[in-house]
Amino acid sequence: MTARSQDIKAQDLEAASALPAPATARLRWPRLKGFEWFAFGFVALLIAAAVLVDVIPGLARPNFPYGDFSQPPEWSLNGLLGTDPLGRSILSRVLHGARTTLGIVAVATAIALAIGMTAGMLAGFYRGPVERAVDLYANTMASLPPILVILALIAVVGNSVLTMMLALGILDIGVYARIAKGGVIAQNDRDYVLAARAMGASDARILAREILPNLVPALTAIVPPLVAGLIITEGSLSFLGYGIPPPAPSWGGMIASSTDLLSRFPLLVVGPILAIVLTVYSLNTIGDSLARRLNDRNRNL
Amino acid sequence: MTGGDQDILLDCEAVSCTLATSRGPLALLKDVTFRLGRRTALGIVGESGAGKSMLIKGIMGLTPSDITVAGRIGLDGEDMVAMPEARKRALLGRKVGMVFQNPMTSLNPFVRVGRQIDEASRLHLRLGKAEARARAIALLSQVGIPDPQECYAEYPHRFSGGMKQRIMIATALACEPELLIADEATTALDVTVQKDILDLLQALQGQRRMSMILVTHNLAVVASRTDELLVLYGGRVVEYGPTERVFAAPRHRYTEALLSAVPRMDEPAHTRLRTIPGRPPDPQDRPAGCPFAARCPAAEERCRQEMPGMTLDADGRHGFACFVPVPAPGPGATAARAEATS
Amino acid sequence: MASDHPYLKAAARRLAAGVPVFLVVTFAATALSSLAPGSAAQLILGENATPEQIASLNAQYGYNLPVIERYLLWLGKLVRGDLGLTLYSQQPVAGLLFDRAAVTFEIAFLAMGLSLLVGVPLAMVTASRPGGAIDKALLAVTSVMLSIPTFVTVVVLGFLFAIVLRWLPATGWVRFAEDPLGNLKSAALPVLCLSVHQAASFYRVSRAEFVSVLQEDYVLVARAKGLPTHTIMLRHAFRAAMPQVLTVMGLSMTYLLGGSFIVESYFAVPGIGWTVLSAVNSHDFPVMQAILSLTVVIFVVVFMLVDLGYALIDPRVEVA
Repeated sequence: MTARSQDIKAQDLEAASALPAPATARLRWPRLKGFEWFAFGFVALLIAAAVLVDVIPGLARPNFPYGDFSQPPEWSLNGLLGTDPLGRSILSRVLHGARTTLGIVAVATAIALAIGMTAGMLAGFYRGPVERAVDLYANTMASLPPILVILALIAVVGNSVLTMMLALGILDIGVYARIAKGGVIAQNDRDYVLAARAMGASDARILAREILPNLVPALTAIVPPLVAGLIITEGSLSFLGYGIPPPAPSWGGMIASSTDLLSRFPLLVVGPILAIVLTVYSLNTIGDSLARRLNDRNRNL
Repeated sequence: MTGGDQDILLDCEAVSCTLATSRGPLALLKDVTFRLGRRTALGIVGESGAGKSMLIKGIMGLTPSDITVAGRIGLDGEDMVAMPEARKRALLGRKVGMVFQNPMTSLNPFVRVGRQIDEASRLHLRLGKAEARARAIALLSQVGIPDPQECYAEYPHRFSGGMKQRIMIATALACEPELLIADEATTALDVTVQKDILDLLQALQGQRRMSMILVTHNLAVVASRTDELLVLYGGRVVEYGPTERVFAAPRHRYTEALLSAVPRMDEPAHTRLRTIPGRPPDPQDRPAGCPFAARCPAAEERCRQEMPGMTLDADGRHGFACFVPVPAPGPGATAARAEATS
Repeated sequence: MASDHPYLKAAARRLAAGVPVFLVVTFAATALSSLAPGSAAQLILGENATPEQIASLNAQYGYNLPVIERYLLWLGKLVRGDLGLTLYSQQPVAGLLFDRAAVTFEIAFLAMGLSLLVGVPLAMVTASRPGGAIDKALLAVTSVMLSIPTFVTVVVLGFLFAIVLRWLPATGWVRFAEDPLGNLKSAALPVLCLSVHQAASFYRVSRAEFVSVLQEDYVLVARAKGLPTHTIMLRHAFRAAMPQVLTVMGLSMTYLLGGSFIVESYFAVPGIGWTVLSAVNSHDFPVMQAILSLTVVIFVVVFMLVDLGYALIDPRVEVA
């Protein structure tokens, strides 16, 4: 379910990372357009809400009834998005859902980045069997719909927060590895790498000090859209009933549980739908914005 | 020579091209005025950036949307600048055919050669498939393609640059245009092929009794192949006139410098090539006066202050925009120079 | 000469790269059951299984054998076209999959067709005037469309067309052989839902491609011939933009297969996605393994076809 247009973006970034800048070059802080401001602002707000959700004064608990069931939105903190069929505050559940989703996706991305970057750098530096293994892994993951991979795992080990983190984590390893690999290959015979080698620097030192800093921009730009993809995948699984087990609130699960009542209470789904669509939109926009700046910078070199 | 003259095919009057930039309008071409008679060959000469291509694009109405064309471009009495888009399309390809600089990228690799030649004739002349094909094959053989029937059915990638340019010429001639424009048509080709293509263009112009504009940065190209010459510098016309006269007795300092930079056969071998010192002005900050003033050996103070107007010869056929022109030579000198350059 | 050409070489390479991917996926699928806590048979039969039941299941499916052995057995049967029997109904998996795949493919191809029909012509219109009002509006709209997950689309469009407007049936599937019109009606909502994302993605890619093709010299030549814009678009730009569109068509297969899980489960359509979900619930490993294999095969074949498609589109390739 990950937006597949990301594959194209990934290719662009692979190409972009093949033109590394000197380590001193950073993404210059850009002049943002209106919708970019919105995107950065929304993501910042969402992260803040996810972190602070327990200490927001007056916010109802997500799993306890707060008022009448299936109420339309009203002008109060807990009633802002209405209440669900059990009388729980939808806003509170959306924010707690954000915490769960962002938490899981953050861990999954950390796993994917750590493994993918390391494997990709080694593959690009030493080539040979390591590179073939990385390519095989990336090709394999690219040829399967992400949901199918996770469902196959869940069929055997059951669904839990830990399964979800690991399962989402393995999805993107290949993409990160490919970008890192491309970036390393492009730098292998650059002057600064050759100079470091001539001065007797160890492989590890060259990779960490000379090469890694130049991979950061390309990897930074690909993270937001891939995170958006993971959020969609996690939401899809929750929607299908294979996400993190209830009663923990999740956006996909909230949407799924409201569908039976849709004909009578269509407003039930508005909150979670807005939450996921705006989150994905913002992340994609941030990714586009970073990628464009990266390309501009490479062109100016 | 009046405006409604039947012998005039193209009549450009005060043509200007202005690019809209974030820092305001930028004049790429200013006040270009010239006339092209029927069955006449005109050479437009200038360094890159002088505005040659812009002038051609302006005539063809192919300027990008951020460029405004002002003035009058009369083609057979109709003003191309003011006319509606549909009418302009009906003239392009039909009355005017054009050959572009780079034959390698001018043919669409995805479309068969035949289709690219006869699409104009089928559109403008409403020829049937068979008629258009017969005409295209005849054209291909006229431009010197060895196997015209085979070529007609081929895709362009099969052909060399020279052959592709021949195909492009056939394409431009598909509707028997009255004017053929060749924009640096040989610049991208091998030196050995360049002459063949130029000879072909010259021959076709004579046979088909059409007008032709040869745009080039290379004076040698136009020397014996054009009747008239228009010299552009910094977006302005600096000199025009019959080719022989301009060659024999250039009046503008820039034209003179340009002519003396052409290697000549009557000079001893290993003579140092003369070059014009300096560079053409950046369109971003062109001077108020003559654009050539900064590089001109004879420039005076007023050259830098104001743009000289056109000074005309006695018979009005040779004009130049210069305050301190090269002195007109006596009759004897003219003959000697003409001999040397031909 | 033909085999020397880059596109054909790429197709051959694609196939060569596909074989190890196929082996990895199918082997992993076989090994998957070994990950089960306790034993696979225990997981399938549940807590209350008797030792006799477990023994008979192991005898039939070999869950007590080493993974390698089980994998080789599976491969051997695969070569003979035998994908085994489903766990519960004891039907041949191959036959079941064939039926279900037909449904998923029908929906996927209709969605792809619809998305192409909407996305590509729109791109041709806006690409000739990039930066115009329609162009800007469509860029904004499509970037939102690309941000809507399929599980939101199904809820919203299902609500709109089945509940509010009552134009289309909310659930169920009518086979084409029984009632062609009814078949199209039952396919309509699933197809629409998958097309939202796809149409936006086709639009984006083809717009960018058309904009860049229109910068080509031969387009300027075509304009100098006095050709009208639509002729330039259809005759000169369209074919040049096709390879890029073809690539996205290939990529969209994975999206459409992934999307089928949501669409088929929400609208109760008996396709591959629906089959996977029921197989997950019942731990039906033979079915899951078959579907994983099928997916990889589809992916490899689709990309090979894309490479061959490039060769057909580009006249510089001579397919002998």
